[in-house]
Amino acid sequence: MNRPEVIDLGLAESGSISQRAGFLSGNEAAAAAARDIGFHLMGYFPITPSTEVAENLAEMQAEGEHEIAMVPGDGEHGAAGICYGAALGGGRVLNVTSSQGLLYSLEQLPVQAGTRVPMVLNVATRTVSGPLDIRCDHSDLYFALNTGWIILLARDPQAVYDLNFAAVRIGEHPDVRLPVMVAYDGFFTSHQRRRLEVFDDMAAVQAFVGHPEAPLTALDPTRPMTFGPYMNDPDLINNKMQLSQAMTAARRVIPEVLAELASLTGRAYPALDLYRMEDAEAAVVLINSAAETAKDVADRLRADGQRVGVVSLNVLRPFPGREVRDALRHVGAVLVGDRGDSYGADGGNLALEVRAALQQDSQNRTLVLNRIYGLGGLDFFDADAEQFFAEALEAAHQRSVAVPFAYHGTYSGEADRNPPPGLPPITAEEVSRGMAKVTPNPESGRLDVELEPLWAMTAMPCRIAPGHGACPGCGIFPVLHQAYSVLEGDLVVLFQTGCAMVVTTGYPHTAHRITYLHNLFQNGAATLSGLVEMYLERMRRGELPGSPDITFMMVTGDGGMDIGMGPALGAANRGHHMIILEYDNQGYMNTGAQLSYATPLGHRTSTSALGEAGTGKVFHHKDTAQIFAGCHLPYVFTGSEGYPEDFMRKIAKAQWYAKRQGLVYGKVLSFCPLNWRTEDDAAEDVLQAALDSCFFPVYEIEKGHTTITYDPDVVGRRRPVADWLGLMGKTRHLLAPDNADLLAAIEDEVARRWHRLKAMHEHPGL
Amino acid sequence: MDNHGSLPCPDRFFELRFESIGGLGAHAAGQILATAAVLRMGLNGAHFSSYGSEKKGSLIRSFIRLGRPEQRIRTSAPVESPDVIVVFHPALLDRPATLAGIRAGGTLIFTGPAGAPPKGLARLPDTVRVIRIDAQQIALDEGSRANAVLIGTLAAALPFLDGEILLQALSDEFAQRRPEAVAANARAFHRGEQEFEALPSMGRADGDLPIHRQRPLWGYQTAPMGGVIPVAGNTVWNDLSTSRTGWLPVLDPDKCINCGTCSMVCPDLCMVWSAEGNSPVPTAARLLGIDYRYCKGCLRCIESCATGALTSQAETPGLAEGLRVALFPEMSQAVKGGSVE
Repeated sequence: MNRPEVIDLGLAESGSISQRAGFLSGNEAAAAAARDIGFHLMGYFPITPSTEVAENLAEMQAEGEHEIAMVPGDGEHGAAGICYGAALGGGRVLNVTSSQGLLYSLEQLPVQAGTRVPMVLNVATRTVSGPLDIRCDHSDLYFALNTGWIILLARDPQAVYDLNFAAVRIGEHPDVRLPVMVAYDGFFTSHQRRRLEVFDDMAAVQAFVGHPEAPLTALDPTRPMTFGPYMNDPDLINNKMQLSQAMTAARRVIPEVLAELASLTGRAYPALDLYRMEDAEAAVVLINSAAETAKDVADRLRADGQRVGVVSLNVLRPFPGREVRDALRHVGAVLVGDRGDSYGADGGNLALEVRAALQQDSQNRTLVLNRIYGLGGLDFFDADAEQFFAEALEAAHQRSVAVPFAYHGTYSGEADRNPPPGLPPITAEEVSRGMAKVTPNPESGRLDVELEPLWAMTAMPCRIAPGHGACPGCGIFPVLHQAYSVLEGDLVVLFQTGCAMVVTTGYPHTAHRITYLHNLFQNGAATLSGLVEMYLERMRRGELPGSPDITFMMVTGDGGMDIGMGPALGAANRGHHMIILEYDNQGYMNTGAQLSYATPLGHRTSTSALGEAGTGKVFHHKDTAQIFAGCHLPYVFTGSEGYPEDFMRKIAKAQWYAKRQGLVYGKVLSFCPLNWRTEDDAAEDVLQAALDSCFFPVYEIEKGHTTITYDPDVVGRRRPVADWLGLMGKTRHLLAPDNADLLAAIEDEVARRWHRLKAMHEHPGL
Repeated sequence: MDNHGSLPCPDRFFELRFESIGGLGAHAAGQILATAAVLRMGLNGAHFSSYGSEKKGSLIRSFIRLGRPEQRIRTSAPVESPDVIVVFHPALLDRPATLAGIRAGGTLIFTGPAGAPPKGLARLPDTVRVIRIDAQQIALDEGSRANAVLIGTLAAALPFLDGEILLQALSDEFAQRRPEAVAANARAFHRGEQEFEALPSMGRADGDLPIHRQRPLWGYQTAPMGGVIPVAGNTVWNDLSTSRTGWLPVLDPDKCINCGTCSMVCPDLCMVWSAEGNSPVPTAARLLGIDYRYCKGCLRCIESCATGALTSQAETPGLAEGLRVALFPEMSQAVKGGSVE
C-alpha cells in the first residue's frame, strides 16, 4: 500500500535523478516527455482536447529541441496506420488522440496488439458522439478496453509525464511486446497547468528508456519475414493466447518498471492507488481527476471521524483484480463512479470489473453501488464526492443497497422551461425568386446564368439566422449567405464538423432555419448520399406528401475534405444528386489552426511552426478541385467569397446540375482573420490578392470543359505571389531573404498549376 | 522571492477568476500570472480556462488557484468562490454570473472608462474592494493589450504578488515571439499598476455572493429525443454585442446607394433592409441600418462600401442602442417575456 506522500510533488530528494520544477498542463507534460524520450516518429491527426501535444511538439521541433519525425495523418484512421507502419520499422512511435479519434482508429488498435508491435498512444479522454461533445468523460477510453493494449491512467500532469517513460519500457519488454495507452482526463488534466517535476538529466533518462530492440522488423532485408498473414482457426486462438500471456507478463513487468522509475523520481505508481483505506468501512472507486477531488473530501470526512477512503487505478489494463480484492476485503460498501455507461449492462465498465473481481473472493461481502457521473464534461465538485461517500457510508451502515445503479448529476427539466422559440419556417415560394436565372445554351451545350442585382437579393429570407458565434470577420457566413441568396426552393444541408457546425448549433440553439444534419467529421458525404437516395425512393413510392422538390447540399471545411476524402470521392463516383460545398480557409481552424492538406507550402500553422529549424508547412496544398475533376462530375468549380457574383453564378449552376445530372463539387476561398493573422476587415485585399496572384484560380469544369472565370492576366491585374503572402501574418516570413528558396518553390508550384489550368481552358479536349 | 508567507489565506487556496471575451488575452494573463507565482515566487498553483472551440469573441473564464508550496492541489473544478474577480470587458458586469461567488472582503477589478460606476456593482458584498482601470484605453494608447495593464493592476492590488517578478514574466513571455511588444507591455503594465481607481464601496450584499451554476434549459424529461432541436433559427435571441472591441460601423443613408454589397460580406447577417424588394412588384430596397445586437464589429461592411456610406465609430455607451435597427422587431417583446437566459 503506497503512502500518498510518495506520489506527491516536491519530493525529488527521494529520487536519484536530477529534476527541475515545471508548471505544465497534461498535454504539455506529454509533449515534454515525448521530447525527452526522443521518439523516432509521431503520426497524428488533430482532435480536441489532445491536439496541443502535436502543437507543442511542432513548436519544439521548430526550435530544434527534438528530431521526432512528425507525420500529419489524413484522419485518425490514417494516423493510426502511419504509426503501425512506422512501429513495424522497429523505432519508437507516438500518437495522441481523443474521442472520435480513438474510435476512428479503433480497428487499427487490436491489429497492433495482436501482431505485437509496441508504441505509445496518449489519450486525452473525451466524450464520444453523438451529439458531438468536446469535453471529458471516459466513454472513448472504455471502447479501448478490449483492444489488447496496456492502459495506464494518469491522474495529473505529473503522472502524464512519468507514465510516458514507463509506457515505453513496459511495451518494449521482451515478455510483453504490446502497445501502451496513457489516458488522462481531457481539459481537467490536458488543459490544467500544475506544478510538477521534469527530468534535468537527459543522460540518465536515456539510460532509463534505453534503445528499442525489436526482435522482428520490416526494415531488415537480410531477414525477410511476413507481417500480418492470413490466419484462421485453429491458429488464431493461439495467437490470442499469446496476447493474453503477454498481459499476464505485464502484471509482473509493470511494477518492475514503475519501481525502477520511482527510484529515479521518488514518485511511485502502484497498479492500485489506495488513499486512507487502512480501516475504511466505506470507499469510492474512481479514476483520474475525479479520484483526486475525492481524496480532498476523504481528508475532511476523516477529520470528522468518518472511516472512508479512495481507491483509484494507475493501471486499467491489465486490470488489477487481485489488488482490488485485497483492498476491499474488509470494506462494507463501495461506490464505483463511472464516467461512461455500458448501456443496458446495469453498470459502467469500471463497476462491472470491480464487481467481477470481488465475486472471485467467496469471503467477500462488500456491497457495490454504481453511479454514472460527469458525462460530457460535467464538473465533479467536492459536493459530488461528498454525496458518493454519504451513499457508500449509508449502505455500509444499513448493510443494504437501496439503489445499486443510477445516474448522478442529471436534470429532469421543468414543464415551462424551454429554449427560446425559433423563427417561422421559410417556405419554398419565399426562396424561389429567380435571383439567378439558369438557361441551357444550345450552342455551347453549357449553362448561362443571369444574376439579379445584389440589392434585389436582400429580399431573400436568409436560411441562416444571425446570432451565431463565429469570430468577427469570419468568411464562412458570407459564403453561406451568397450561396443561399441564389439557391432556389427547399434545401436540406449537412455540415461536416468544423467552425460552421460548431458556431451555429450550440445546444439548445440553432442558427439554421432549414433542416440541418451533422454526422461524424469524415462521413458527411456518405450520410447525405444516403438521405438523397431515401428521398428519391420515398418519392418513387409516393410517401412524401406534396412531393417536395428538395436540393441537398453538404457544407464542409477543407479539414473535412482531408479526413472525409474517401467518403466524398465515393459519393462523387456514385454520382448522387447533391452539392458538396467546401469553404477553404486553409487549416483546421475549429481546433486552433492546425495544418490541413489545403494549407499551402511554408504557411505557419499551429502544427507547422516557425523557428530556427521550422519554416512552416513542408508540402504543397492539395488541389481538391482537380481531384474531383478526375471523377468526371457534371460540374466542378472554385470560387471566392471576395467575388460574390462569380461564386453565385456557379452555385446556381451547381443546383441545376445537382438536380438533373449528379454530384457537384465546389471549393470557395474563405477568409479567416484570426488564423491568417490579419485585421478582421482585410478580407477584400487578401482574397483579391489570392486571385490576382493565381494562387487560387477561380474556374469551372462544366461537362468536362474548363473555363477560367477570372484571369488576372487578361484584365491586367496579375501580381506576384509575394504580394498575397505579404498581407498575412501567417506567411509574412516567406518574404524574408532566408526563405527565398521556399518562396521560389511556392511561385513555381503556383505557376505550374496555373499554366496547366490555362492549357485546359484553351483546349476543349483537355 | 519568499512571498508565500504573505498569502492572505494560509488555510485554504487563494483563488482568482478572470471573466472575459475570447481574444482579449484573459487566458494568457492567467497563464503568465500563475506560472510566475509557481516557478518564480515559490507558490503552488494551478491554472486553466473554460473554453470550447477556438473562437474569438465568445465568453471565456480563466481560473487560478494559489497555495503554499507544500499545499497539495487536487481538485480540477472551476473556481466558484473567488477571492479576486477580474472583468476584462465592461459589458460583462451586467451578467449576474460574472460576479457570482465572490467572497466577502474580496477584490473586484474591472476595466472601464471613468464616470458613473456601473449599476451592477450594487450586487456585490459591501466588503468587496472595487477597482476600476481603463485597461482598453491604456492598451490602445501604449500599443499593448488590456491583459498587460490588468496584470499590472493585479500586482498593485495584491501585495503578495511581486510586481517586478510579474513584469519580468510578462516580458519573458514576449521576448522571443514579439520582442517589439516588450517595451509597450511594460508601459501598459506600469500604468495598470499606477492608474487604477479604488471606487467607494457600493455593494449592498452581506457575506459571500452565492455561486452560480448554469442549469440547462431542457432536462431528460423535457428535451426532444436524440438531441434534435425542433425549432429553427433561435440564435436570434443571442446578443453578440460584447464581441465588439471598441468600434462599430455606422450608416449614413444619404451616401448609401443601396447596392447590397455590404450584405454579401457581412458575417453576422445583420444589415437591415426595407421590404420594397419583397413586394409583389419589387422595387429597389433600401438599407435601413444595422442590428447591433448581432454585429461583432469586424467592419468588413465598411471595407466593401464603395461610397463611404459606412464608416467606423468608436463605441460609446448607448451609441449602438440609439442607432440600432431591429432585424426582427416583432420578436423583441418575446425576448423580454420568454425563457431566455
